[in-house]
Amino acid sequence: MLKISSYSIRRICLCAVPAMVLLLGAPLWVFAGPEAALLVLPVAGACFVAIRSLMKQVATARAQECFLDEQLIQSQKLAAIGELSAGIAHEINNPLAIIAQEIEWARLQFDGVTSDSPGLEEARDSLNEIAVQVERCREITHKLLDFARKRDPLIQGADLNKLIEDMAKLVEKESSQKGIPIIRDYRTDLPPIFTDPPLLRQVILNLLNNAVYAIQQNGAITIRTRIPESGQVEMVISDTGVGIRKEDLDKIFNPFFTTKPPGKGTGLGLSICHSIIVRLGGRIAVDSEPGKGTSFAVRLPIFHNAQKKD
Amino acid sequence: MSAKPRVLIVDDEERYRTTLRKLLTVREIEARDVGSAMEAFSELEKASYDVILLDVKMPEIDGIEALGRIKRDHPSVEVIILTGHASVDAAVEIMKLGGYEYLLKPCPIDELVGKIESAWERKAARDKRQKAATNPHEAS
Repeated sequence: MLKISSYSIRRICLCAVPAMVLLLGAPLWVFAGPEAALLVLPVAGACFVAIRSLMKQVATARAQECFLDEQLIQSQKLAAIGELSAGIAHEINNPLAIIAQEIEWARLQFDGVTSDSPGLEEARDSLNEIAVQVERCREITHKLLDFARKRDPLIQGADLNKLIEDMAKLVEKESSQKGIPIIRDYRTDLPPIFTDPPLLRQVILNLLNNAVYAIQQNGAITIRTRIPESGQVEMVISDTGVGIRKEDLDKIFNPFFTTKPPGKGTGLGLSICHSIIVRLGGRIAVDSEPGKGTSFAVRLPIFHNAQKKD
Repeated sequence: MSAKPRVLIVDDEERYRTTLRKLLTVREIEARDVGSAMEAFSELEKASYDVILLDVKMPEIDGIEALGRIKRDHPSVEVIILTGHASVDAAVEIMKLGGYEYLLKPCPIDELVGKIESAWERKAARDKRQKAATNPHEAS
């Protein structure tokens, strides 16, 4: 595999061009005089520019290949974890169902009991706490099954701005009360995209909810849509929240990774987003600066009429 | 139509089915419980039920196969599948076989009772329509 870094490009240019000047210029100097030898310089300059441009393109292609490799590894890792987690969720759901029912039954037994004993109140309180924790486990196992579910996306043409706006209005009800306006910067001539609208709505909602959580109180969320390159559209959701530490950025799409306190997050939201976006033929990237905020950029393929099913 | 639905719980987890029966009984829903699909088939021969709560993962005959046989032999009974493992393929298969609903364990008791009652209402409405079709004078 050809591996070329920017350092290599500089070195090749620095070696190849003087060598060319020497090899062509010296015979010309000898046989046709110094004026003719000087003509080599513009030719060498043009060669220098051409080689440099070519090498840069190779390096860019190499970087893109590395990025795709990383995305593939991440997808395969998530698929394997998905299989495993679905099995675990299934096994846990059954005993959890029994615990939930026993709580209901025990509550019914306590309902008719009247006593001044402080122990009875303690037992009721304890039962309520068990119910809260069972509900928490239920949420985790159900999300795990969502994560592992292999629904084939139902691909159709959709208006990305409209999908975003639906979710933005939903989140705005809560965010405006916390002093967090949602600023829209939609590109109005955005072409239709090729996607599964319910799955994409799930991703947008998750990213917006995360943004609100990262800000907590007083800040702003910005949603931007644009066409970064031919055949793709991009949605960027940025917040002015707490940001993510550099060492956490690599782990942000891993299942169960969360920076939220215990009981506040399952750590599955972003891994579900990642898995959905990959299935939709797109990619998701994160950029963050602690104390300043975070941006999630989602790129998706543009809808083509040829892909439309009759 | 009886005042409350008659429910048959089919689940191989003994503690799950017995506590569920007690919880439904407290809500004045007449319920019986059995531990396998074979026991369910023989129970359905002995008595009539409005709604069946059926587990999927059971030894010998699983819930999906049992659902097919129940709907074939007792088409009017409504079947609610209660399982610990949701999958879209299984859900589609269940709906194709005539299952009424597909619920993921653990399911809150209020939600389950709501589903039982709506399944029972659907069955009652269908029974009434069939009765009217076969005997129009009696139905009016």
